[in-house]
Amino acid sequence: MTAITDSGTTPKKATRPPSDSRQRVRKYTADQVPLGSLLLRMFAGLVVLVVFLLPYLIMFFGSVKTKAEIRSVDPTYFPTEWHWENYATMWATPETPLLQNLISTLVISLCATLLVLAVALPAAYYTARFRFSGRLVFLFLVIVTQMVQPAVLTSGLFRQFIALGLLDTWAAMILVNAAFNLSFAVWIMHSFFASIPKEVDEAAQIDGAGTFTVLTKINLPLVWPGIVTAVVFTFVASWNEFAASLVLLTTAGNQPLSVALTKFVGQYETSWHYVFGVSIVAIVPVVLLFMMIEKRLVGGLVAGSVK
Amino acid sequence: MKDLLKALPWIGPAVALIAAVVLFPVGLMFWNSTRDISQSGVDDGGVGLANFATVVGFQYFWPILGRTVVWVVVVVGCTLIGSLALAALLNKAFPGRRLVRMAVIVPWAASVVMTTLVVHYGLEPYFGIINSFLVDVGLISTPEGYGWTRHPGTAFAWAMVVAVFVSLPFTTYTILAGLQTVPGETVEAARIDGAGGLRTYFSVVLPQLRGAVSVAVLINIINVFNSLPILRVMTGSIPGYDADTIMTMIFKYMQNQRQIDLASALSVIAFLVVIAIVAVYVRVVRPLEEV
Amino acid sequence: MAQYRRLGGILAITLATTTGLTACGFGGTTSDEGTDGGSTTLDLLVPSYSDATQGQWNDVIAGFEEANPDIKVNLQVESWDNLESVIATKIQGGEAPDIYNGGPFAGFAEDELLYPVEDVTSDETYADFQPTFLENAQVDGTTYGLPFIASARALFVNDALLEEAGAEVPATWDELLESAKKVSELGGGVAGYGMPLGSEEAQAEAAVWLWGGGGSFGDSEAITIDTPENLAGAEYIKTMIDEGATQADAGATDRSPLFDIFVQGKIGMQVGLPPSVGQIESDNPDLEYSIHPIPTKDGEPFTLGVADHLMAFQNDGDKQEAITAFFDYFYTADVYVPWVQAEGFLPTTVSGSEALSGEEALAPFLEVLPDAQFYPTTNPDWAATDSAFKALFGQLDGDKSAKDVLAEIQDQVDAG
Repeated sequence: MTAITDSGTTPKKATRPPSDSRQRVRKYTADQVPLGSLLLRMFAGLVVLVVFLLPYLIMFFGSVKTKAEIRSVDPTYFPTEWHWENYATMWATPETPLLQNLISTLVISLCATLLVLAVALPAAYYTARFRFSGRLVFLFLVIVTQMVQPAVLTSGLFRQFIALGLLDTWAAMILVNAAFNLSFAVWIMHSFFASIPKEVDEAAQIDGAGTFTVLTKINLPLVWPGIVTAVVFTFVASWNEFAASLVLLTTAGNQPLSVALTKFVGQYETSWHYVFGVSIVAIVPVVLLFMMIEKRLVGGLVAGSVK
Repeated sequence: MKDLLKALPWIGPAVALIAAVVLFPVGLMFWNSTRDISQSGVDDGGVGLANFATVVGFQYFWPILGRTVVWVVVVVGCTLIGSLALAALLNKAFPGRRLVRMAVIVPWAASVVMTTLVVHYGLEPYFGIINSFLVDVGLISTPEGYGWTRHPGTAFAWAMVVAVFVSLPFTTYTILAGLQTVPGETVEAARIDGAGGLRTYFSVVLPQLRGAVSVAVLINIINVFNSLPILRVMTGSIPGYDADTIMTMIFKYMQNQRQIDLASALSVIAFLVVIAIVAVYVRVVRPLEEV
Repeated sequence: MAQYRRLGGILAITLATTTGLTACGFGGTTSDEGTDGGSTTLDLLVPSYSDATQGQWNDVIAGFEEANPDIKVNLQVESWDNLESVIATKIQGGEAPDIYNGGPFAGFAEDELLYPVEDVTSDETYADFQPTFLENAQVDGTTYGLPFIASARALFVNDALLEEAGAEVPATWDELLESAKKVSELGGGVAGYGMPLGSEEAQAEAAVWLWGGGGSFGDSEAITIDTPENLAGAEYIKTMIDEGATQADAGATDRSPLFDIFVQGKIGMQVGLPPSVGQIESDNPDLEYSIHPIPTKDGEPFTLGVADHLMAFQNDGDKQEAITAFFDYFYTADVYVPWVQAEGFLPTTVSGSEALSGEEALAPFLEVLPDAQFYPTTNPDWAATDSAFKALFGQLDGDKSAKDVLAEIQDQVDAG
């Protein structure tokens, strides 16, 4: 059986053939939505689109203005001249080696995300599926680590990574980002694992599958949306981490974009056009990542719930 | 105990990672909260609980604590309502939905600091185009605009708007992902039984979302409580302590007054406050109990 | 992400992680510590004054390393906003930089973290500092900060606006109030006097008014804010605000954005500093403006002088020589003067002042520098005073009385 969701993917293997008596059910699929209601959704979608993009349009227009136009007392909605060259010149500014910053950010975020997945996935699965003494303690311990204001922890992190000889290395920030995002990843995936009926597992176990096989073959396909949510959460949090990176990474080239951005802020003047430009560049990889896995997030169950 | 041993290969790596990275800094925070530390960071000996007495005895402490609670409740509440509505919309089929879904992800992808800086810039008198827009449509009579970020009330309100704005994507997507796990048959069944759209939503869909929503709310509570950059940017130039929360106060102790000992003490208090909030939440909502 | 699903499940993810981590985890470069192989490494932590700062330091270091092949310099530039948290973390972790460029240093000296300047400079370099700046860098008779760059304040006047409003360039507070009110009445978003009491640099505007009324912030022994002399200036600030002579929301307006508005001709008068000249030159060279002494209660000339310092941390005994070599190199006029010039500040050395005495743009500031008064930076409580002004002084724009605001600042200083 395939779940009929309203996700826009037309169910190909719907178990109930469309018939007149099922009219109300069929109303759920795209082709049968009344025109008025469809227009209403489109209008609401348009409003959402504008509201969510507005700050970033301001940012984008700022990035192609001149430094002076951004701080003009007679503000312009659109650039009077489009200075696309800002996007070329910002890579060669004396303040910071942006290309290296971008690479650092990418490496740190990707590695941290992979590490989180490798560590959190088994923990989330096991705690959702099996009762054992210390299970709740573990889940609370994990979430408690997230409750401390990170800015206060930086001096302790700094001392610790000196002792480990990892100061000013990517490895330090990979570990920090992984450790501090682990808890949410565990909890998010835990809640998704827990929402799968236990009978699914039990059926497979009766067929002779081991715990590991049950996880990989039966559960994983069902919890893709949760995994993707956790991945995006971890990746984005690592991508934008600032407080620890600022003190743990001291060489300009090792620092991530979030720290590099602050180099454009001088004592008495700020290169806003570059700040905005770099911010736009920093958003793009995350949106690309999201586009790559968005189908997995919303289409996961339709493809995977064939029991 | 034997079952714990059996669990170890599964949860061991997570415990090890946390122990290796988080334990020492958190321990140091507790330790620092009982020490006297000079402005340049030199430890001048233990002072017992004196730092806690100083922090709690600060004349604005209680208003700041109250404001922190308002901040968390309003931001998380608005985020939840907004996200449920957004997720419901994005789960419906309509042309251009993919584009709208992409747009909703952008505030999540962008760094919170940058989003806040742009809004702050838009709200500035003279330079800001939000102000300029409000002047152009005649809502503000002074030609240079209004100092939104220069009055505690309006600055705090705008900070809440930004906080909700940047919290919406994650919450919306968690709910959206949760909606995918709602079996279509259940919805169908309710429909066939004659339930209307809204009633189906509240009686069938929402209970199924409980797992996803309760964890998303929990994560939001912790994140919003710990959120520093938004308030720091939006209320940063306001004198006095009329727009501060515990987090900005920790920041003021640490960065402005360079009193790491007091900052640590307040952090410990904040830690206890958020544990209390989460404990109450877990008791009431029971996010771990749905199986 | 697609390939993970194809490979199927957790095993692939674990594998990818392990290879991923070995491939990228240890890619960052670790900076060498201390001496190895006969070469010394100096860590230099500095703030960014402007776009030019990083490039300036790179040039200095390149020249220095060429002259001293056995010494390597690691440069770290941070924004002013982040500088203090970075230095505090490093000190707490026992990893202070060897050379640091910052503002207040008395706290470091009190904790016995710094070399006395005489131990890390040659006699010639030390003798070249202007005596007033050296005095201002001493704690209990020992100099701990190397005077680095200096600034003085002066009143920047938009001549076009004053002429349009029929106002005179003021010398006293009462004249300033009258002129500023006339300019404010022009309307159209124009403000008479730009008054930045926001957190960015509230202590500077406070000094301009409080000291201009005969007050002071105290000395190296005691910080005195809540005094009758200081009250005169604080009350006049309230008068300026109440009578509409300033821009709106003076209490929460930061200095830099406000000066951007002055540069664009919307403000009649504002206190500025040497780099402001360069800013007008680059952003709005057509502005008709002139530079005058800061108006005071009775018209006596005075200016606020600010000096930033270099300092050397005592980390490792055998770095002392290398640090000395660096300072001696940096303070030669050929290296130092271009640095100061590029940032648009005033030099603190005798040879530097001679080299720059012909600079027209700096003339109005060099002229008022003899009357300069400085912050009591040698008082260990200065950092607390500075932050108290930043956090609280802006409340003058509000219901609190001037007396209460000063008392609250004094309380916070005494508690810190």
